[in-house]
Amino acid sequence: MTPLKTLFAGLAMTALGAGAVQAQDGSKLQEVLDRGHLILGTGSTNPPWHFIDQENKLTGFDVDMGRLVAKALFGDPDKIEYVQQSSDARIPNLVTDKVDLTCQFMTVTAERAQQVEFTIPYYREGVGLLLMANGDYADYDALKAAGSDVTVAVLQNVYAEEMVHAALPQATVDQYDSVDLMYQALNSGRAEAAATDQSALRWFMVQNPGRYTDAGYGWNPQSYSCAIKPGDQRWLNFVNTVLHEAMTGVEFPFYSDSFAKWFGTELENPQIGFPVEYK
Amino acid sequence: MDLSLFLDNLWNARMSLLAGFGNTLLISLVAVILGSGLGVLVGLALSYGNLATRFVLRVYTDFLRGTPVFVLILACFYVLSVVGVDLSAFQAGVLALTLFCSSHVGEIIRGALAAIPKGQTEAAKSIGLTFGQTFASVLLPQALRQILPTWVNTATEIVKASTLLSIIGVVELLLATQQVISRTYLSLEFYFFAGFVYWLLNFLIEQAGRAVERRVSIPQ
Repeated sequence: MTPLKTLFAGLAMTALGAGAVQAQDGSKLQEVLDRGHLILGTGSTNPPWHFIDQENKLTGFDVDMGRLVAKALFGDPDKIEYVQQSSDARIPNLVTDKVDLTCQFMTVTAERAQQVEFTIPYYREGVGLLLMANGDYADYDALKAAGSDVTVAVLQNVYAEEMVHAALPQATVDQYDSVDLMYQALNSGRAEAAATDQSALRWFMVQNPGRYTDAGYGWNPQSYSCAIKPGDQRWLNFVNTVLHEAMTGVEFPFYSDSFAKWFGTELENPQIGFPVEYK
Repeated sequence: MDLSLFLDNLWNARMSLLAGFGNTLLISLVAVILGSGLGVLVGLALSYGNLATRFVLRVYTDFLRGTPVFVLILACFYVLSVVGVDLSAFQAGVLALTLFCSSHVGEIIRGALAAIPKGQTEAAKSIGLTFGQTFASVLLPQALRQILPTWVNTATEIVKASTLLSIIGVVELLLATQQVISRTYLSLEFYFFAGFVYWLLNFLIEQAGRAVERRVSIPQ
């Protein structure tokens, strides 16, 4: 835990210990319906998840998940009050009732599940490899076959080397301070591939059509879920239903449009007939 | 560094950066005004209050001055909501900076009043001035000259401390800048720009302070 996280966690625990403002009898669902808008916690500095676009509007895939919930509540995806929060504020803002729901690329971990309640996942994140479309290597197999001839650019991180070597055991790893430098290394040919989150990689490809390609291999899986304050099964069930039907049911067009917009991939319709969940 | 690319992006982001700058100004202005008002009361009570008042305010100023502003901001935002005072991020942030400012101004005023020789108060008494008259005509004019430079310094500190509100989600200049960087990846350029704006703002505050100092200084 970073000192910052510890501080946040400490304050959140203080809040819990003192018996944080308890939700009124009844569910958050009724409270939100009575209020007339959803208070959604999300960030503002991580495209394509949650960021301020050219028109100065908060947008992204996380934001779209919140809009799905608002649409389900009020028939209007715009009935949202956004609380722009840092990643460290996700859990404290939930337990102190600053927000109804947080959708902010939150990785599901057992440790966090003891503090908040996770909804069903709406995305599976992983690491992928970005290549130049006209580069020397076409895909993952070609990179792997090239062994130590391949240099992989990666964002600086204690586990960066280990992470890349899990997929390409012999590759040379160059670490960079920031995302722009990492992409520059790829552009200039100092690196043959850049290893980064699949979502970031997809978004970068959406923004630069035709220039890059995905090596087609993903590893280091992690689930992204929305989260709520623990202890409200009715509200949790409601949000779960909304997300579930967005991925498999009536709101699938909304979800798949959003998915295509941010990740550049058209999803196939869920199989009709026997529910896909039990396959 | 591709200057035209940066300028293009700067122009595109001008509205959000301006809004962020407006917030920075508003936060700083409100915090300095309210904090100074409160600080004057604290300073006077520290100088002339009875023992109990002085003790309570001594704890207040020492606690606030000895706590990082960052912790103060988190406390105003999270701890207050536990006791039922539900402030928005903006209000909580302004409250934290106001308290921080008041403790500093209180201490500045106490120090300035203490620096005036006791003989002056005694002399004022001996010619029949009331405490109010003594304060207004003898102590305050001298204390103000002492206070001004450090008070201007506190104001610039508040401007810089306002960047910390980004952590609880107040979109001031720093967070607005980070939002632009996350979209454009031009981190160095935009951080440099934000740094320059903060420097310029504080430079202007200091210059304004110096101008006032020159006006009120006693001609040699």
